[in-house]
Amino acid sequence: MAKKKGEEAELDSALERAADLLGRARFPVIGGLFTDIAGAAAALVLAEKLGGAVDHAAGTGLSRASRVMRETGATPASFGEVRNRADTVVVIGKGPLERDPDLIASLFPAKLGLPRPGDNKREVIFLGLDKVRTPRHVRSSSIRGRATLPELVALLAANVRETRFDIRDKALRTKLDRAGERIRNSAFAVFVYDSAEIEEPVMHTVLETVRHLVLTTRAAIMTVAAPGNGDGVNLCSTWTCGLPVRTSFARDVPEHDAWAYETDRLLETGEADALVWIDALEGEGAKRPKGAPTVVLSSIPGRASKGDVVIEVASAAGDHDAALYLAPISGIGMVKAGKKNKDKPTVADVLTTIAELIDARNA
Amino acid sequence: MLIQLKGGRVIDPVHKRDAKGDVFIEDGRIVAAPKVREPDEVYDVTGKIVMAGAIDMHSHIAGSNVTLGRQLMPELPVLAAEGGQPIEPSPAELGTFATGIRYAEMGYTTVIEPAMIPTHAIEAQIELASIPIIDVAGLVILGNDDYTLELLRGGRAKGDELKDYVAWTLHHSKAIGLKVINAGGSEAFKFNDRTFSLDDEVPAYGVTSRAIVEAMQKAVADLNVPHPPHVHCNNLGIAGNVDTAVATIEATQGLPIHFAHIQFYGYGNEGGKGFSSGAPTLMDAVNKHKNATVDVGQVMFGQTVTVSGDILRQFDGRRSASPKKWAINQGEGNGTGVVPYHYKSKSFVNAMQWAIGLEIFLMADDPWRVLFSTDHPNGALFVRYPEIIHLLMDKDERVRWLDDVPEASREFSNLAEISRELTYSEIAVITRGAPAKLMGLNDRGHLGAGAIGDVAVYTEQKNKTKMFAGADMVFKSGDLVVRKGKVVRVTYGRCYHVEPGFDPQIKRRVKSFYDRNYGVDPSWFGVSDAITNRRDRFATIPLSR
Ligand SMILES: [Zn+2]
Repeated sequence: MAKKKGEEAELDSALERAADLLGRARFPVIGGLFTDIAGAAAALVLAEKLGGAVDHAAGTGLSRASRVMRETGATPASFGEVRNRADTVVVIGKGPLERDPDLIASLFPAKLGLPRPGDNKREVIFLGLDKVRTPRHVRSSSIRGRATLPELVALLAANVRETRFDIRDKALRTKLDRAGERIRNSAFAVFVYDSAEIEEPVMHTVLETVRHLVLTTRAAIMTVAAPGNGDGVNLCSTWTCGLPVRTSFARDVPEHDAWAYETDRLLETGEADALVWIDALEGEGAKRPKGAPTVVLSSIPGRASKGDVVIEVASAAGDHDAALYLAPISGIGMVKAGKKNKDKPTVADVLTTIAELIDARNA
Repeated sequence: MLIQLKGGRVIDPVHKRDAKGDVFIEDGRIVAAPKVREPDEVYDVTGKIVMAGAIDMHSHIAGSNVTLGRQLMPELPVLAAEGGQPIEPSPAELGTFATGIRYAEMGYTTVIEPAMIPTHAIEAQIELASIPIIDVAGLVILGNDDYTLELLRGGRAKGDELKDYVAWTLHHSKAIGLKVINAGGSEAFKFNDRTFSLDDEVPAYGVTSRAIVEAMQKAVADLNVPHPPHVHCNNLGIAGNVDTAVATIEATQGLPIHFAHIQFYGYGNEGGKGFSSGAPTLMDAVNKHKNATVDVGQVMFGQTVTVSGDILRQFDGRRSASPKKWAINQGEGNGTGVVPYHYKSKSFVNAMQWAIGLEIFLMADDPWRVLFSTDHPNGALFVRYPEIIHLLMDKDERVRWLDDVPEASREFSNLAEISRELTYSEIAVITRGAPAKLMGLNDRGHLGAGAIGDVAVYTEQKNKTKMFAGADMVFKSGDLVVRKGKVVRVTYGRCYHVEPGFDPQIKRRVKSFYDRNYGVDPSWFGVSDAITNRRDRFATIPLSR
C-alpha cells in the first residue's frame, strides 16, 4: 500500500479501535457482506474467532433457497444451458427482470450455436407479469389475472400435472391450459425465479413440477443471482463451515438459523452487541441497519454515527481484481478491476488485520 | 535444520527398503545420511513405522460439485457420527479447513481433486487453496462439453485441435490431468437419453463414447502429460456391467489409461439375485492390460453422499436416495448429480459392493496398478481409510466383518476364500509410491534423497484401524505438523499442475466459441495466481519427455 504518513496513521488507529470494539463484544454479527470471495473468507475466519454470526444483506432469499435445498434438493440448470437448450422458459414474477433487465435478450440470442433437444420454436411464458418485448424469433405469452403469484404457480403446476381444478376466470383457464400443454410438450422447460420474491412453499411447488416433468422429459429451475455477490458469499460460507449465511459460531459447532441469525433481528432485539457492516462492491450498495456500535468497511463511506469506526476500503472489481459469482457462468469467476487503486486496503486485508490485532491482545 | 528420525522401521518400496534405519530431513527435503554433521533435532522412532506422506489420488474435496453436496447434506457428519463413523458431529467437518486437518492426522500430505469443472475451476482452486497442510492437484473434466463434441463430430478429430484444446483447458484451470466422466453420456442426458453405453452415439454429434475416450487418450499421450486420461466408464453401478468394463479396458489399444473407482463396475449378473461378484473377470482384464491402472473405490457401510459428474447415472440413482432428497445440476459439460446414500451391512447389494472392492485389492497381481481409493465421499468418507487398511492387512478382521453381512453376499462373493494379507510395503505402494508415479509427482511417495520432506510415522500395533487413524508424527515439507494424531501446526501447501503448451490459435477459437454460445469471455473462468495471496501456490510438474 503506497500511502501518505497521515492516512496510514489514521488507518492504524481505526483498526485498533475496531479491534477494541470487537474484542469487547459478546456476540457480534458480520453483515452486509457485499464483498468478494476473499472478503467473505476473511469475514468467516473473524466471525469464528469472535464467536459471532455471519449474514448477507440478501440473506432472506439465500436462506430460503438453502432450506428448500436441504429439505428436498434442487434441479438447477446453468445460464448457458438455458440459453442454448431451453425451448420453453417460464419467468415467474417480476423479480427476475428487475434483477436483470437484459435477461430475455441474453437468454434468447438471435442465433443459436449449440444443438438443442426437440424442434419447438423457442417460447417464453411470463407468469404473474405483463409481457415484455421479446426478440422476433421467440414466441411469448403472459398469464395474469386477479390471482396472486403463489396461486398462479399452483394453478400452472396443477395444469402441468393435468390435475383437475376449478376456476371461474375463463380467460385465465384458457391461458393456463395452453401453457400447461406447451410445458408438457417441451423438450427442456425451465422455470426462472428470484428466491427473494417467492416463499418456500412456492419454491417447493415449482420443484415438484420439475420433478414431475423429468419423469418423461427434461426440465430445470434457474434462479437469478442475488445482489452483492450473495451467491458467492453463500457458497464460500458453505465450503468453509458446511453451512450457508445466517450462521452463528457462538458454540462449538456452527449453527445455521435463517430467522435467529438475521442481522436486523439480532440488532433489534439487542442479541448482537456489535455489527461489522461490509459494503464494498463496485456499482452496488447495501442499506445499512442501525442498532449497535458498528465497524463500517465501505468503499463509499457515508456519514458515521457516533461510536462507529469507519474504514474506507477498496471496492471489489472497481479498485482491485475480485472473485465474484457471475451469473453467465453460474459460478465464481474473476473480474478485473476497472481502475486499479492500490492506496486503499481490501476488505480481506482489513478483516485479517483486525483478527491479528485481537489475537495479539489475547496472547 | 537437519532432522533425524532415528531407528524406525522404514518402509519405502520405491527403493525396496523395509528395514530398521534412519530418515533425515533438511530444508523441507529428504537428504542422505550426512557423513560428519550432527543433526539439530533427533526423534527416536524405535518400534515405529516410517513411511512417506500418503497420497490420495482420487478424492472429491473441492469445487462447485462438492459444495453442492455440502449444500444438500450439511447434516452428513452428524448422521455419520451417529452411525459410529470416526468424525465429529459438526457440519464444518467436511468443510475445507477440517478436510486438511483430518487428512494430515492420518498421515496424508497430498490429495488429488479428481473433478474440476472447467468453467468452475476458479471455485475449485479457491476451495483447494483454503485446505490447510496438504498439497493438492486437480483433474479437469472434458468429454461431454460441446467444444470437444463439435471437434469429434461424426467420430473424426480434426488435426491437432483437440490436442491444443486439451492443453489449453489444462493450462486454463491449472490442472494436473484430464478426467473423462461417462464420455458423451451427460450430453446424451441433455437430449433426454436415460441410458448410454460404450458404442452409443451422442445425439446431434454422432460420436460414440468409445471414440471420445480414444481421442482423449491420444491427445494426452501426444501432449506428454504424465497422468493418462482418468476415465469414469459408462454403466456405473449396474448389475452385469463388468462386461462393459472389460470391453472398455480391451478398447484401450495399449495407450496409457486410468480407470476410476472400478469396484462400481465389478458387477456380474449371476445367481438367484441377478447380482454377483465380477471381480475375477474384471481383475483378469486389469492384470493382463499393463497399460491400464485403476483405483478401487472401496465401499464402507454407513451414511454418505454421492457426488458425480455422471448425471445420467445420478438421475437414475435418485430413486435410492437416503435421506430422500437429491440435486441434479445441469451445467456446461457434465453438470453434477448429488444423491445421499446409506450403505448398509444388512443389504445384500451393499455387502456385495463392499466385498467386491476388497476382492479387487486382493486379486491384484501388481499393486502398482491397483490403487487405493473410496472415491470419497462416493464409496465412503475418507476418514474410513484406516479401517480399509485394516481389512486389507488382516484376514481375521475380514472374517469378523463377513459374519455381519447377509449369507447370500458371502455366497455370491469370493472374499471368504481369499487369505492374502497386504504387507506394509504393499500398503505403501497403493497409498504412496503408485499414486505419485501415476500423477507424475516424482518428488514424493518415497523417501529417497531429494524427495519432498513429507513423512508419516505410525506406532506399530495389531489393530491397524487404530494404527493408521492417527499418525504419531507427520512432517509436511519438513515441518512437524502432527504429533500423537493431532495437528500441532497449521501450514498451507501448494497446487501442482502441468503446462503442455498449445498453438496460440486455440485461444482465439475458444474465445469465439464462448462468446458466440454463452456470451462469456474465457478469461472470467481462467485460474490465475491471483486466486490466493500466497505467492508460490502453484507449481508446474515436468512432462513425461
Ligand atoms: Zn470420483
